[in-house]
Amino acid sequence: MPMVLLECDKDIPERQRHIFLKTPEDDVRECLPIANVPTIPGSLSERGCAFCGAKLVIGGVLKDTIQMIHGPVGCAYDTWHTKRYPSDNGHFPLKYVWSTDMKEQHIVFGGEKRLEQSIHEAFDEMPDVKRMIVYTTCPTALIGDDVKAVVKKVMKERPDVDIFTVECPGFSGVSQSKGHHVLNIGWINEKVGTAEKEITSEYTINFIGDYNIQGDTFLLQKYWDRLGIQVISHFTGNGTYDDLRCMHQAKLNVVNCARSAGYIANELKKRHGIPRLDIDTWGFNYMAEGIRKVCAFFGIEERGEELIADEYAKWKPQLDWYKERLLGKKMAIWTGGPRLWHWTKSVEDDMGIEVVAMSSKFGHEEDFEKVVARGREGTYYIDDANELEFFEIIDLVKPDVIFTGPRVGELVKKLHIPYINGHAYHNGPYMGFEGFVNMARDIYNATHNPLAYLAGQDIRDPTPLVMPERLREVA
Amino acid sequence: MNNVLDDQLDELYGYIEERCLWQFFSRSWDRQENIDGVLDQAARLLNGKGPARETPMDNLFYADAKILVADLRERFPWLEDAGEEEIRQLCDGLKGRLVDVVITRSKNRELNHHLY
Ligand code: SF4
Repeated sequence: MPMVLLECDKDIPERQRHIFLKTPEDDVRECLPIANVPTIPGSLSERGCAFCGAKLVIGGVLKDTIQMIHGPVGCAYDTWHTKRYPSDNGHFPLKYVWSTDMKEQHIVFGGEKRLEQSIHEAFDEMPDVKRMIVYTTCPTALIGDDVKAVVKKVMKERPDVDIFTVECPGFSGVSQSKGHHVLNIGWINEKVGTAEKEITSEYTINFIGDYNIQGDTFLLQKYWDRLGIQVISHFTGNGTYDDLRCMHQAKLNVVNCARSAGYIANELKKRHGIPRLDIDTWGFNYMAEGIRKVCAFFGIEERGEELIADEYAKWKPQLDWYKERLLGKKMAIWTGGPRLWHWTKSVEDDMGIEVVAMSSKFGHEEDFEKVVARGREGTYYIDDANELEFFEIIDLVKPDVIFTGPRVGELVKKLHIPYINGHAYHNGPYMGFEGFVNMARDIYNATHNPLAYLAGQDIRDPTPLVMPERLREVA
Repeated sequence: MNNVLDDQLDELYGYIEERCLWQFFSRSWDRQENIDGVLDQAARLLNGKGPARETPMDNLFYADAKILVADLRERFPWLEDAGEEEIRQLCDGLKGRLVDVVITRSKNRELNHHLY
């Protein structure tokens, strides 16, 4: 019975193939939740659209690139500001959003003129910015606007600008995942190898699949600097358009998010012979392992050991303070996909936390292979969970804290269960050694805050619940 | 294969299953390449031989194998007493088991797609 049909799914029994319970009796290799397939009608999915996967996750992070969204204003608004990726040039990606603001007349008569005008307007308004990504959306793809032709025309008229086109309307895939794929493959086909940068170290990497959430990239950059490693490009945390054109110059691709960016790492291996090294950057144990591997690749092991020793000396006592207080806490992770397998063992090993339920919006079966291999027995593994399933799973596993996005977060708050933003973090960065202490602190604050408990009290209740000792201590 | 070797294989496999991302690359040929590459380097290291370091891919497999071998030695002290032949059997056994689980019997329907 490892594939589970929940009570709430009795009218959509197809959902059983998406929900797995790991038990000691079953051979886990015989079952794998099916993933990256269309959402079943009747299931209230939490997924985003394919365009969102390209723009919000990857392209929109770049710090020097106008993100021209060719569509109604809502496509732009929905993919702006919901993820916190700062930049070291005044937070360019967070400050600005661009849209061609399509209206009915443009849908009826075509939007190409509108697009051309908008591109010129954006470059004129921001004369220092010379790079742009243009995205199609559902409406502009449906009416058949020839975006590439417009872009070609503008680039001819403005020889100093470079524009990349992402043709990935919302409907083109089953989830955000399609957008990751289209952007990755488009970029390697059209842009990698079109620029060269100065090489300043014999040790060069691309750091792939890190989006500088609340400064993750800044934190990891300190490690690379100290190790003497030149990062040719960040795909795409605090990254620049032109650095990404130079990806072919690196000696090693270090991959964190294999889901959103594994494609480009695979292609760089295939086309340019650059090896792909996958690492985990969340957690002490994992981060140390990642640094050791990168250093072993280049033969600079001693530098790595010094860095790890210093970071452990500085941050490990703080982590241990939290670990003592978090031991045995139960956590659910309901995020995109990779964070399930990045986090399940690292919070267990480094913080003593048990992960009791995990749900992925856009993970593929590869992600489930990884997370089932790493995760605990007695834990639920769910693909594309819906709201009713979340409620039922909460009753089954009774988590103390849930890592998820703000939408589901609002739901669980109403059940007086603390939620932490699993996509954009509460008080990050969370990567690296210092980052994992931040994450532990957020979990401690969430699970020891008496507010959720107090909010659950009805003051008219003649027999109020007694506040648990743990909360009274900190109240 | 005798029982002792079987148990030892279970222990080593259990560690790799939970820990190593290289076994779960996107396509079956990537997985095969990694399994062979990392375990060949691991066998050399476990036998006290120098690793192959001719090509970028050698260096990659060395990086993964070096950390793997250090972890295995720490967790499974019996590895210190294993002779060359035993190490060869263990690494061959591990390769076979990994290929069986993450390639042959894997339920991942994307493994053999010809494109990334
Ligand atoms: S689904 Fe289509 S219309 Fe909706 S936000 Fe995505 S691209 Fe825009």
